[in-house]
Amino acid sequence: MAVAATHVGGGIADHVHPEPQGFIRRYVFSIDHKIIGIQYLITGFIFLVLAGLLAEVIRTQLMNANGGFVSNNTYNEVYSIHGSAMVWLVVIPLMTGAFGNFVMPLQLGARDVAFPWLNMISFWMFPVAGLMLFSSFLMGAPVAGWTEYPPMSLQGEAGTSMWCAAIFLVGISSTLTGMNFMVTILKMRAPGMTLTRMPLFVWAQLATAPLSMVATTALAGALAALFMERQFGVPFFDPTKGGSPLLWQHMFWFYSHPAVYIMILPAFGMISEILPTFARKPIFGYKMIAFSSVTIALAGFMVWAHHMFTSGLAPFMQLPFMLLTFVIAVPTGIKIFSWITTLWGGKIHFTSAMLFAIGFVVLFALGGITGIFLASVPTDLHLHGTYFVVAHFHYVLVGGSLMGIFAGFYYWFPKMSGRMMNETLGKWHFWLFVAGFNGTFLPMHWLGFEGMPRRVAVYDPQFQFWNRVESVSSYVMTFAILLFFVNILVSLRRGKKAGPNPWKARTLEWQIPSPPHYYNFKHVPTVYGLPYDFSEPLPYRGLDDELTDAPAPVPAGAH
Amino acid sequence: MAVASLPHQHAEHAEGGVDRFYEETRDLRLTGFLFFLFSDVVLFSAFIFAYLYLRNSGQSWPPPGIARLDVAFAAWNSVVLFGSGATMHYALENWKHGNFNKYAGLLIATIVLGIAFLGGQAYEYTHLYFVDKISWAGSGIFGASFFTLTGMHGFHVAVGIVYLTVLLLQSIHGVYTKDKYFGITAGTLYWHFVDIIWVVLFSIFYLI
Repeated sequence: MAVAATHVGGGIADHVHPEPQGFIRRYVFSIDHKIIGIQYLITGFIFLVLAGLLAEVIRTQLMNANGGFVSNNTYNEVYSIHGSAMVWLVVIPLMTGAFGNFVMPLQLGARDVAFPWLNMISFWMFPVAGLMLFSSFLMGAPVAGWTEYPPMSLQGEAGTSMWCAAIFLVGISSTLTGMNFMVTILKMRAPGMTLTRMPLFVWAQLATAPLSMVATTALAGALAALFMERQFGVPFFDPTKGGSPLLWQHMFWFYSHPAVYIMILPAFGMISEILPTFARKPIFGYKMIAFSSVTIALAGFMVWAHHMFTSGLAPFMQLPFMLLTFVIAVPTGIKIFSWITTLWGGKIHFTSAMLFAIGFVVLFALGGITGIFLASVPTDLHLHGTYFVVAHFHYVLVGGSLMGIFAGFYYWFPKMSGRMMNETLGKWHFWLFVAGFNGTFLPMHWLGFEGMPRRVAVYDPQFQFWNRVESVSSYVMTFAILLFFVNILVSLRRGKKAGPNPWKARTLEWQIPSPPHYYNFKHVPTVYGLPYDFSEPLPYRGLDDELTDAPAPVPAGAH
Repeated sequence: MAVASLPHQHAEHAEGGVDRFYEETRDLRLTGFLFFLFSDVVLFSAFIFAYLYLRNSGQSWPPPGIARLDVAFAAWNSVVLFGSGATMHYALENWKHGNFNKYAGLLIATIVLGIAFLGGQAYEYTHLYFVDKISWAGSGIFGASFFTLTGMHGFHVAVGIVYLTVLLLQSIHGVYTKDKYFGITAGTLYWHFVDIIWVVLFSIFYLI
């Protein structure tokens, strides 16, 4: 019985549901990965605007050495929420939730993620958590920065507990997305798509997903402990009751160091798609790029204490953490050199997406180099807690992650909307953004070297000139982002039709109409090779019907 | 359901064998469930790390003024929980072999043993609170780590009891068949997971 009856009927690849027709089911509580990806994108951009405005409050305050724009306490609230929102409500959801959701199943040749309902639930936790985080302003927002070190976070007002709850919630969302993506990538690849035939963006998501799953859960533990201590007086971190403030730092950085790779690995993946497409050359070192993502993800769990060199860490612990941190420069260097070699001798098309991708490589490399100064104990003792640190992580998070998000957006916008972005506005966006970015963050390097401390509302008047340069540059950067949003709105209405494959790219998502149908593929294709050999025919079979009027898969009725 | 070219079979085929759609989705759900359990292990690990870190940062353990835990009572209570792991294992085996009555009896035994374990834990908590005057928030890092970790575990046991009760009702109502019983597999995995966590917690709180 069992043997004969096994494998009757179609599998998941043949399983198509009818597209829901009502507005609510279609666009609000959708279970379609493409709609959910766009929902993440819009929500993430809204939080980008809000957190960006907070950044402008910070820069306006720092125009003058003695501040005066907002009160000192408000200043502390503003930079704490700015950092928390940018990390948890902008970069992480955009990297995984938005681009991961929209692009990854298409590149895999899957009809959706493994658990579409769970995907919808993960998404809806995210705006709720965002509202909770911003609502903490109403009850006295946290003032101890995005890291919320005790004992200061234990003394903060009620908003600090709200902060814990908000980050906990968005963390659960991120964990569930990580699980969903892991199962999707491991189990739902199209026939013939072996792991070593996957596009590099999918590899990047595969390296990121376990980080979301493991590290974020550890953060949930730390946040729960801080919440319990604040609300019920359960002593974990308060040294007067036997707790340890250092415990928080260990637990927090055990999450937050892997989290910086959650924020950058997907961008590595995007760059690895964009560079070969616009250089019209195969990616150099496919396997090395793929495996170096995994190496970075694994090594990311072993370096957290390099954030704690000045916190009273035992000296014998400092050396291994310093050396392990240096080791991460090796896989990162492999990627940088592979990208440069991909460009070498290529026929480069300077589209907006390509400009942002190249800008990413340059600015991220600069941010990586300053990371070496901070990872090395002797220099870190001098630089810790200064603007040098602020310069470093803005180079990797804005020059890296945010530039990656822009590059990915210009690249996949035609697939999402069916229309092209305006290239002229795109180039204005790029050049103004890069100019404003460097004007804002480059001077922070020497200000930090000269000892200007971070997180302080007023500063020594000798630093005023460069701070004014930074503040003015930051307005240029904000104006560039305004142009970006104008470009989106204009292009959505007036952009020229994109067609299925405006970039002549070779991954699977470009072989189907823009925007793709609800079921993604009429027939799930079979994959025969890597997508990067530009001189060869496409390595797919079964896509002949995609761009014709051939009948779509028949949905199961009321299933 | 299937596309036009394929027969509409997997719904009607529930009686004999497993259709491909069920097989593939079961594979997804099993992988996803294992990942869920793994991240739950990480959540416990975060607190276990916190406990060991705090315990080793002080001078003496147990801290001054805190009585030693009652190891014998907790050991008997652990036997109750491990026993429920055994009954759950045989419940699943009996389901696979089609012995519904044995399955139901063993599942009920698992639920009863789980409740007995929680009862033992409740007794231990009240004893600690009223006799030894040890509380969650008022007894320093000992109260914080002990009650948080064992409480988290107790919460997982309670969730498991609800889960197994739902499984019992579902299997009485014919939700599962001899070939399609992923819910029971997941329940068994979850229950064993709760057992294994207890092995660790028992060791670090009562034995070392």
